[in-house]
Amino acid sequence: MALFPSVDWFDEVRNVFNADDRYRGAGGGYCNCVAGFRIAEKVFVLTFDGFECSAAAEGDDGTLDDVDFYLEMPAEAWRDMVANIAANDGADLHHTLNTLDLDREDGLATSKHGDQVREDLFFRYNQTLQFFFDASALVETEFP
Amino acid sequence: MSEAANGAERELDLGWMDRTGPWETRAEPGKYGLTIADISIGDYGDAPEVSDNLTGRARGAAARPASYRIGAYAVRSKNEIWLDNASFLYEEALQRQWSSATDVPWHTIEPLPDDVEQAECQLATFLTEVEFVAGDVPARWVSLTTPDFYEPRQVLLAQVMDESRHMDVFRKRALANGGGLMQATGATSGFVGSIDLSRDFTEMSSRLHVSGEGAVLTLFRMGELMAQNEAEKVIYRLCAQDEARHVAFGVMHLRYMSETAPERREEIHCYLDEAEGGLIGAANPVGQLTPTSESMAIILGGGKENFDDGMNKIIAIRRRQLQEYRKRVISAGFGERFENGRSRVAQMIEEAA
Repeated sequence: MALFPSVDWFDEVRNVFNADDRYRGAGGGYCNCVAGFRIAEKVFVLTFDGFECSAAAEGDDGTLDDVDFYLEMPAEAWRDMVANIAANDGADLHHTLNTLDLDREDGLATSKHGDQVREDLFFRYNQTLQFFFDASALVETEFP
Repeated sequence: MSEAANGAERELDLGWMDRTGPWETRAEPGKYGLTIADISIGDYGDAPEVSDNLTGRARGAAARPASYRIGAYAVRSKNEIWLDNASFLYEEALQRQWSSATDVPWHTIEPLPDDVEQAECQLATFLTEVEFVAGDVPARWVSLTTPDFYEPRQVLLAQVMDESRHMDVFRKRALANGGGLMQATGATSGFVGSIDLSRDFTEMSSRLHVSGEGAVLTLFRMGELMAQNEAEKVIYRLCAQDEARHVAFGVMHLRYMSETAPERREEIHCYLDEAEGGLIGAANPVGQLTPTSESMAIILGGGKENFDDGMNKIIAIRRRQLQEYRKRVISAGFGERFENGRSRVAQMIEEAA
């Protein structure tokens, strides 16, 4: 059982994601970006390198200066998304990353640098990011 | 000496063995396999600033003096088409392909109310038309570009494949749920079609990649809000990924042009003036009230009776479209147009607020 959010949880999802070849096709595959996640007061950073998610780390607000983009929503919204994925073996129509981005006035994805080319990586690799979080359906998750 | 099939002896001419490009090249696969970045080594990696190659000779191959001209290559100056990450975008495009036949869960489409299905089909008709242009235009420029600049050519060829898939996937959507194609919208006879009138690659790219595809990228992303089922979600999400690559091509090319040919900056601002006109024209379904925008409002609202709710969402889409466009132009190095009053985009964003 892995606690969400934590590096352990992201590592378990990475293991599922990296081991499943299905995530390399169907619009997924070859992804190079550093993505940040602000979940409540915590910051996590995932590094996607080629076909795999090569690292998960915890950071702080300053870490977000260096990521290509980061996703930020209230803790309960993150929890709702992860629980929805677990319940449906993947996000339903209302809980995909892109839908959550669109549902918010200021969006889900943003950056500190403001470079739209780097922010656009969220769109360019959206299916891979969705595959990653959908892989969490196979991780036993507990919430604080 | 060699023996021919009929038993006669013949002299071999092995002169071709002496006429090569640089030799003893050993490209090695990197972490991502053997990419075209990995083979850009030695002389093979050097694209000339100006190409005199009119014969279709592969870059780095030995010239054949007697060869005739096969290409009327209009694009022979590097800064006219180059960008720093073309190799990367090409490999990414190859790796992230998808099939509209098998990667879309078509079985999740279920019957919709008549007005919503008609609206879906109208939107699919519009997008099919638009994607025709998005495929045709880069294809033409491929044939106008010297093979010495093969990296950006490869990206454009991959784009043609992407647009081909977009054409077919929206046609499939229109024909998959009891509806069909609706009346042609005329999108290709306005701003979208005028992209093909561009006489310069950068002019074309600023209209197609930065303005046009940037706007369509926002539409595709918003498609997830319009989706009635998993199939439509997947269609829009995967199309948006492709479109984001095309937009990246345009922005990175503008950035390269800005840095290497500053004398062309004013000219490029003129292209952007025109491109911004496209954002408010009838070709953009969130720019003006057109049959396509009506159909989008019906889909977003969930039916004709909720048309106003749908229109409010369209206005939100329009705001995002403009904000993202502005940030891309800034990223390309032309942000001063938003400071000196040349661009109306800031005013358009306010109007959409």
